[in-house]
Formats: sequence, C-alpha cells, structure tokens
Amino acid sequence: MRKILLMGHPNVGKSAIFNRLTGANIIESNYPGTTVDYTKGFLRLEDKSVEVVDVPGTFSLQPKDKAEEVAVSMLHNNKDSLVICVIDASKIERGLYLLLEIIEEGYPAILVLNMWDVAEDKNIQIDLDELERILGIPVVWTIAISGEGIKELVTKLKQAKSVMIDGILSRVEGRE
Amino acid sequence: MKKRLSELSCGESGFIIDIAEDIKQKIAGMGVRVGKELKVISKQPLKGPIVVMIDESKTSLSQKIADKIAVEIKE
Repeated sequence: MRKILLMGHPNVGKSAIFNRLTGANIIESNYPGTTVDYTKGFLRLEDKSVEVVDVPGTFSLQPKDKAEEVAVSMLHNNKDSLVICVIDASKIERGLYLLLEIIEEGYPAILVLNMWDVAEDKNIQIDLDELERILGIPVVWTIAISGEGIKELVTKLKQAKSVMIDGILSRVEGRE
Repeated sequence: MKKRLSELSCGESGFIIDIAEDIKQKIAGMGVRVGKELKVISKQPLKGPIVVMIDESKTSLSQKIADKIAVEIKE
C-alpha cells in the first residue's frame, strides 16, 4: 500500500490521529535543511506495515513560512502517496480549501472531520453522505482524543481515491 | 458603506467585497475570501495586527494586508 501523509491546518488534531493510527512506534526526525520536525510511524493494515507521516500543519499549498514549506515539499516529494486530509469539523469551510488543492494535484485522498464532538457542541450539523457524494472521496468523522471513528477511518483507507476537480464543481452546482 | 479593513474598529462587522490580487492567494487558505462575513475582534496598538472572526475561526491579519481588503460595513 502507498505511503500515507496526514495533512491539514495547524491544530486540527493531526498528531492525535497519527498517534491513534500508529500507536507508539514513532520515529521523530528533522526534515533536512530546516528545524521543523516531522514524525513518521507505521500502521498495521491487513498484515502489512504502512508508513504514515505526520506532516506539519499548513493552510494551503502556497507556503507562507518554513513549516508550510516543509509540508508542501513533503507532499510534492511523495507523489505516489495517499493523503488523509484532517479538518476541524467545527471550522469545516476553511479546511476544505486545502483539501481541494490536494485533490486538484491528483492525490488520492480521504477526508477526516475531526473534533466531531466540538462541532456537535456548537450545534453544527454536517451531512456526511452528501459531502461524500459531492467530493467523491470517503468522508469519516472522528474524535481523536477518545479514539472514536479511528476504526472507520482505517477501514475506509483503501477507498481513498483521486477525483477530478471538475466533477466536484459540477456536483456543487447541482449539474450532477 | 465601503471601508478598508484596516479602518474598521473593534466590534464592527461586514462583508468582504474586494481583495487585492497580490494577496488573494496568500490569504484564501485561511478562509479570507470575497463574499465572506467578518467581525473585528481586536486591534493591536502600534500598527499591530487585526484579529478578525470569519466562519467560527479567528485569523490575525497584518495592517499591510488589512489595507488591501475592502469591506462593506453592516449597518
């Protein structure tokens, strides 16, 4: 299976999800040339070991600082990887921008709406099925700190796929 | 009434009607886009950054950037 990159804005719970996925087998390293740390670990999937990388948080694929530069170059240096895009479910709209940029570059992706409990507390209702239909990729909700939804995420990893941005656009506009 | 974001005072809100081309891409990822509603949460002294609330999330913008964002003030 492909290498997995965990991407998303800063402070959406990427590392919490990373820890849930990989357990304690973590290798921490410095990305060459910068002082930004990243962490990689391994996930057991159907008796195979899959590499998972906890990429530094970034708002977009146009880097504005060193950490974002690392995030973007990690994505671009791993063209054949699969991306788990993590969004704060209570701030979903602004996270979708990054997801769409990742999809546009052709990476197979799966969307995780983390902090689902926070969204519920704020009375934010999200139609997962509709979001899945529009985006054309699997969408799962998680509460990483309690571990809820992580199993679902792991089972849906295989369904991650590349989709065309034009298709998403036409579904958003109701043409499909 | 149309104002620059840098001219808004604390507590004022409005809709973004224009963003200068050179910064559009830079701030789009943070959710700052034309059509969005925003509210000024705080302004820092000595030409410090302006903190705005957009879609449940706070973003701080420098004066330089705030100068290039046009806002239609909500009455």
